[in-house]
Amino acid sequence: MFKLLSLGNIFYWIEKLTKFINSIFFVLLLVALSFALILSPPDYLQGDSVRIMYVHVPSAWIGLASFTSIAFLSIVNFVFKIKNIKLITKSIAPIGLMFTCLAIVTGSLWGQPTWGTWWAWDARITSMLILAVFYIGFISVHKFISEEERANRISSIIAIIGLINVPIIKYSVEWWNTLHQPASIKLIGSSTIHSSMLMPLMLMFFVLLLYCALIFLMKYKTEIIKIKKKNLKRL
Amino acid sequence: MIQNLLSMNGYGLFVWSSFLITFLACAFVYYKTHKTLKKYEREFAKEINELSIEQKKIVIENSKVASQVLSSYSKTV
Repeated sequence: MFKLLSLGNIFYWIEKLTKFINSIFFVLLLVALSFALILSPPDYLQGDSVRIMYVHVPSAWIGLASFTSIAFLSIVNFVFKIKNIKLITKSIAPIGLMFTCLAIVTGSLWGQPTWGTWWAWDARITSMLILAVFYIGFISVHKFISEEERANRISSIIAIIGLINVPIIKYSVEWWNTLHQPASIKLIGSSTIHSSMLMPLMLMFFVLLLYCALIFLMKYKTEIIKIKKKNLKRL
Repeated sequence: MIQNLLSMNGYGLFVWSSFLITFLACAFVYYKTHKTLKKYEREFAKEINELSIEQKKIVIENSKVASQVLSSYSKTV
């Protein structure tokens, strides 16, 4: 089991996985874009502006999911001190930051035609902005603190504190009166979105997840090479 | 039809901007990540090649990562 999880084996599987994702990615992207931009119907109330949802919602989901996984992995790292975990969290963070920023920007582009404003200090939007700040803090610590142990400890604390913000983002639309609409897709209970829109949304989400996997694998591979380079210098 | 697709009943600017920004950001991050990876692979392969024959043999025998990076580097070169 531990042999399977060695950096050498992980490196081998990263190569294989990257090739596989590359081989299917562009076909799936084309299909997803066709559904999102052409085949899916306009909304009865929001018209064609609803198509922004196909990039906005998956971006927000990925931003939230990435931070949640970083926080939980940081807790595991605090308890068990597994070296691999810090490589994983370091590789996930930039992806999460990018998608959080994309969710904010595309949300703003959706807000202008829908609410008549680019920005509002609304609970959902503000809590998403705070999430971006936590991401920036996490990444900056690794960039500016050269002492690795200290950087890991501080970044883990940032991630764990930031975890408090995740349920706030999720339930902000229920706890406060916000401009942002409540969730249409629920994990528990029935969703209020029609299947003709749900299908393209899930397809776009899947394609963006594949993209995340691709970036994550490349970043993880870079981190492994950095470690091996350091080891080589010790020779 | 193309006119309709571009204008999206007046929402074209917002819809197309959202998709364009998303895909430009994704393309930029992909390019940067790929470039960094290739840079580290190149540097790592170069450092291995600079070792003495004996040291190089030990590294390749003991590190799967080193042997894989070397083989992919020699393919690209």
